[in-house]
Amino acid sequence: MIEANIHTVTFWTVLLASMPPLAAFAAILIFFRGRPKVSAGLSIGAIGLSLLAAAFLLMRYWNMTAPLSHTGQWVCSGDLSISVGFLLDPLNMLMLAVVSTISFLVQVYSLGYMHGDPGFSRYYAYMSLFAWAMICLVLSPTLVQLYIFWELVGLSSYLLIGFWHEKFSASQAGKKAFVMTRLGDVFFLMGILLLLTHIGSPDILLLDKGTPVAGLTPMVAAVGAMLIFGGIIGKSAQFPLMTWLPDAMEGPTPVSALLHSATMVAAGVFLLARLFPFFSQSPSAMMLCLSVGTVSMLMAGTSAIVSRDIKQVLAYSTISQLGFMIMGLAAGGYEAGVFHLTTHAGFKALLFLCAGVLIHRHHTNDIFEIGAKNGRGLSPTIAALFIGGGALSGIWPFSGFFSKEMIMAELAALHNPIWLLAGLAGAFLTAYYTFRMIFIVAFSSASPGATEADHTPLRSVMVGVLGILSAITLVLGFFQDGLRDFLIGGRLAVGTANHGHSPVLLMTALGISVSGVLLAWFEFGRRAAPKTGFVERFPALADFFAQRWYLDRFYRRFIDVVIYRGISFYCTQNDNKIIDGGVHRLAQAAVGVGRRAANWHEALIQARLWVMVGVVLVLLAFFVYQVAI
Amino acid sequence: MIVPYYHVLLFAGILFGLGVICTLTRRNLIMILLGLEIMLNAGALAFIASGLDAGQIEGQAVVIFVLAVAAAEVSLGLALITTIYRQTGTTDPRCIESDTCELE
Repeated sequence: MIEANIHTVTFWTVLLASMPPLAAFAAILIFFRGRPKVSAGLSIGAIGLSLLAAAFLLMRYWNMTAPLSHTGQWVCSGDLSISVGFLLDPLNMLMLAVVSTISFLVQVYSLGYMHGDPGFSRYYAYMSLFAWAMICLVLSPTLVQLYIFWELVGLSSYLLIGFWHEKFSASQAGKKAFVMTRLGDVFFLMGILLLLTHIGSPDILLLDKGTPVAGLTPMVAAVGAMLIFGGIIGKSAQFPLMTWLPDAMEGPTPVSALLHSATMVAAGVFLLARLFPFFSQSPSAMMLCLSVGTVSMLMAGTSAIVSRDIKQVLAYSTISQLGFMIMGLAAGGYEAGVFHLTTHAGFKALLFLCAGVLIHRHHTNDIFEIGAKNGRGLSPTIAALFIGGGALSGIWPFSGFFSKEMIMAELAALHNPIWLLAGLAGAFLTAYYTFRMIFIVAFSSASPGATEADHTPLRSVMVGVLGILSAITLVLGFFQDGLRDFLIGGRLAVGTANHGHSPVLLMTALGISVSGVLLAWFEFGRRAAPKTGFVERFPALADFFAQRWYLDRFYRRFIDVVIYRGISFYCTQNDNKIIDGGVHRLAQAAVGVGRRAANWHEALIQARLWVMVGVVLVLLAFFVYQVAI
Repeated sequence: MIVPYYHVLLFAGILFGLGVICTLTRRNLIMILLGLEIMLNAGALAFIASGLDAGQIEGQAVVIFVLAVAAAEVSLGLALITTIYRQTGTTDPRCIESDTCELE
C-alpha cells in the first residue's frame, strides 16, 4: 500500500470537506425543523465550507504524484482487516470538487425553487445528508467504506425522490428506485465479499496496483469485477436496471439535477473509474461494461426522442450519457470517461435547473405545453438551455464537445468498428432529442393569452446559478489538457495510450451532431415545422420507444409470474400450511388431549372405581407374592 | 359352629366380589347403591364368622354398627339419587355431568 504521511493541515481540511454537511443534517433535524431560513443557511454554509476545502485541496495537490491516504483500523479478524479513513488522489479530488460545487449551486438554486414549501427544512436536511454521504463515498479508501456510503446516497435518493410523499406516484417512484438500485447493490456486495475472501482486504489502492493482486486468479478477478459492475448498473441506471431513473423525476427538480444526473448516478461511473486498473485486467469484464454501456446509451436515446416530459427527456439523456462514459472507460479511455463525467455533471445540472425554472413558471412538465405558454421569446433561461443543449449534443465550443471527442477517439481505437458506429449513432440521437426538446420549448408559437407574468420569488438567484453553470460549461472544455495531466499525474498508468485527435473523426462526429440538430430544426424549429418527429410516422415504433422498450411491462409480468405466482406463492403456501399449519395442529392436539383428560374428573365414578379396584387387586397380588416368597 | 369358618369366609368373599361387579358395571345409581350394600353385608358376614370363630362378642357388636351405618347410608343415598333424577332426568352416572353418554 502506498502511504505517505499526511500533513496535519491536509487532515483537517479533509475533515472540513466531509463533516460539516453531517453536522448541518443533524442540527436541522434536531433543532431547526420549524425554522426554514436557519435550516437553509446552515445547509448552504456547510456545503460552502466543503467547497472551500475541496478547492484548497485541489490547489494544494494539483501536482501530486502519489496518492495520499490516512486510515485507521476498523475491523480486524483473522486474515480480514478493514480500515476506514480517506484517500486523496486526482480522481477523488476532482470528484470532490464536482460534488461540492454542484451541491452548493443546487442548494442555492433551491432557495428559489423550494420557496414556501412546507417541507423546506426537511429538504435541506436531506440535501445535507446526501452531500455528506456523497463526499465520504468519493473519499473512501476501501470498498467497504465506499459501499456504506453508496447505500447512504441510495437512502438520500429514496428520501428525496419521495420528498412529496403525499403524492402517490412520488412515493411509488422512490420505492422503485430504492428496490432496483438495491438489486444491483446485492451483486456489488457479493463482489466485495468475493474479493474479501480472496484478498483479505478491501483496499482500493491494493486492487488498483495495476498488476495482478496476490491470491486472485484471473477468473476470480473477472467474476469480482462483473459482480461489482452489477452495482454500477443499478446505481448508474444502466441496462437492464435503467427504468428507475425516468420515474425518479417525481422528485423536486433540483434533486433531479443534483442526484439523478450530476452526482449520485455518476457514482457508478466514478466507481468504474476508481477501480479502472482492476477492471482493465479482465478483458471479459471490460467487454461486459462496453456492451452494457452501448445498449443503455442506444435504448435511452431512442426513448428520449419520443418523450413529451421535459424531465424525462433529460433523464433518458442522463442514462444515455452515463452509458457513453462507461463505453469510454471500458474502451480504455480513463481520462476520457472521467472528463466526460466532469463536464456532464456541469451541463446536465444546468439543463435540469433550466427545466426547473420553466416548470416552476409554467406549472407543467409537458414540453408542448411549456412551448405554448412560453412563446418564441428569448430569455436568460432559454439562452442557458441552448448552452446546455449545445454541450450535451457535443457542439463546439461547449464542454461536451471536448469530452465526447475524447471518448470517440477511444472508441475509434478499438478493433471492432461497431462500437464507434454505435457511439456516432448515440451522438446523433443525443443531438436530435436535445434540440427537439429545446426547439419545442423555445420556438413554439404562443397560444393566445397564455403569457403570464412571472411571480417566482428569488428568481434572480435561480437565474444567477444558471449563469454560473453556463460559464462553467463554456469554459471547462478548454481545460481539457490540464485536467488530463492532473488525472494521469498521481495514477499508476495502465494501458492509457493517448489516442490523439484525428481531424477526420473530429469533423465526422461534429457533422453528425450538427445534422441531428438540423433534423430537429427541420421538424420542430422552423416556423412551418410539422411538429412531429420522424419516429412518429411509425406509430408502432414510437409506442415501443415511449414504453421504454417494454422493459417495465416485462418486469411487471416477470414479477407477477415468477415472483408472485411462483416463488412467493409457494412460500406463502409453505408458511400457511406447513409452518402455521404445524403449529396449529400441535395446539389442536394439545387441546384435544386436554379435553380427553378433563373427562376423567367428570362424573365417571364407575371408571374411577374400576381404577381403584384394579389398583387394589394389583396390590393384593403383590402382597400375596411377597408373602409367598 | 356347624359350617366351617373358611366356607363362610369364602362365601363372604364371593358376595363381596359380586357387590364389586354390581357397583362397577350397572348403569343405574340405585343398583350401584345396592352393590355397595352387598359389599357391606359381605364384610358384616365376615365379621360375624370371625367373631364366632374366635369366641368373642366384638364381631357381632361391630355388625350392629355396620347395619346402622348401612341403613343411614341407604336412606341418604336414595334421597340423593331422587334429587339427581329430578334435576337431570337420568340415573345413569355417565350422563349426569358428562355429555359423552349415548342415550339409547
